[in-house]
Amino acid sequence: MKESHVTDKSAEERLSAAIAQLPKEMSPQRDLWSGIDIAINQSSVAVNQKSTNKVFMPTAWAASVVAAVLLTWLTLGPELSTSQPSVNLVAAMQQDFEQQKHSMLVNFGTPDIKQLPVAMQTELVKLSSAQKTISKALADDPNNSDLLNLLRWTQQQELDLLKQLYSPQWQSI
Amino acid sequence: MDKLKIIDANEHFSPDLESQWIAQAQQGDQQAFHHLYENYHRRIYALCWRMMADKDSAEDVCQEVFVQLWQKITNFRGESKFSTWLHSVASNIVLGHIRKNKTWIQRIFSIEEQAVEDTAVEMPDCSNLDRKIQKLPERARLVFVLFAIEGYRHEEIANMLGMAVGTSKAQYHRARGLLRESLSE
Repeated sequence: MKESHVTDKSAEERLSAAIAQLPKEMSPQRDLWSGIDIAINQSSVAVNQKSTNKVFMPTAWAASVVAAVLLTWLTLGPELSTSQPSVNLVAAMQQDFEQQKHSMLVNFGTPDIKQLPVAMQTELVKLSSAQKTISKALADDPNNSDLLNLLRWTQQQELDLLKQLYSPQWQSI
Repeated sequence: MDKLKIIDANEHFSPDLESQWIAQAQQGDQQAFHHLYENYHRRIYALCWRMMADKDSAEDVCQEVFVQLWQKITNFRGESKFSTWLHSVASNIVLGHIRKNKTWIQRIFSIEEQAVEDTAVEMPDCSNLDRKIQKLPERARLVFVLFAIEGYRHEEIANMLGMAVGTSKAQYHRARGLLRESLSE
C-alpha cells in the first residue's frame, strides 16, 4: 500500500518535471512563411470584399424584410385611423435611438460615414428611410404595436450595422 | 581579420523592438510583420501541434493564424502582452478549425473520446511527453494543453470549449492520470 503511494508520488513528480521541461517552441518541417506571404499579398482585396459582404448580406436581408412588411402593411393593413395623434412614444423612441447612435459613433471616434463602401451607405439610407416611413405611419396610428415594434427593430438594425462596421471584433477573442 | 559575428535573435530581441514591429505591422509594414512571424511562429506552431496532434493540420492552421493576424493586427491595442493576445487568437483559431472538421454526428453526440490513432505522424524531434500528449483523447488533450502548458484557467477553458468547469477539471485529471500511466510504462 505504502509502496503504491510512493510509486504514485514518484510518477506525479516525473510528470510535473516533464511538463516543466516541455519545449516552448517547435519547428515546422516545411517553410510556412512563403504561403503566408502569398496569402497576405493576395487576400487584402478579397478580405475587404468578404468582410463587407458578411455585414452586407444580413443587412440587405433585414432591409428587404422591412420593405416587404411596410409594403404589406400599407397596402393590406387597416385604414389609418384619424384618432388624435399622440406621438410622444414615437418621439421618445426616436430620441433614445438618436442618443444611442450618437454615443456609439463618438465611441468609435466619430467616423465619416461617407468613407464606407457605397453598398453600406445605401443600406444605412434604406434603414433610415424605413424609419421615417414607419414614423409617418405611426403619426396616424400611434397605438399600433406592430408598427412600434417594427420601428424599434429597424432602429436596432441600424445600431447593429454601425457596431459591426466600426467596432473592433478581434479584441474580443 | 574579424570573426563573422552571428547575431543571436533572442539576445537582440527586446520588448521595445517588439512594440516597434507591432506598430509598423499595424501600418502595413510586411518586413516588420515578418520579424514578428520569425519571433513567434515556433511557439504558435507548438501550440497548434499539441492541440491538433497532427503535423500537417498544425502547419496549415499555423499559417492561417498568421494570415489572420496580418488582417487583424490593428485590433491589438496593447491591453495585454502581445504574446498573450496572439496565443489567445491562435487557440481560438485552432478550436474553430477542430470544430469545423468534425462530422455532424460527432458534433451532436460529442464523439471525440477516441485516442489519436497510432498511425498519426509523429514529430521526429519531439519530447517523450509530447508523444504521450499526442495520444491522449481529444478533449483531455485540449484541456491539458490549455491548462498545463498555455496557463488558462478552467473557467476560461470551459468557456472556450463549451463545457462545464467541472468537466474541464475532470478532463485535466483524466489527462494527467493517463500521462502518468503512460510515462510509467
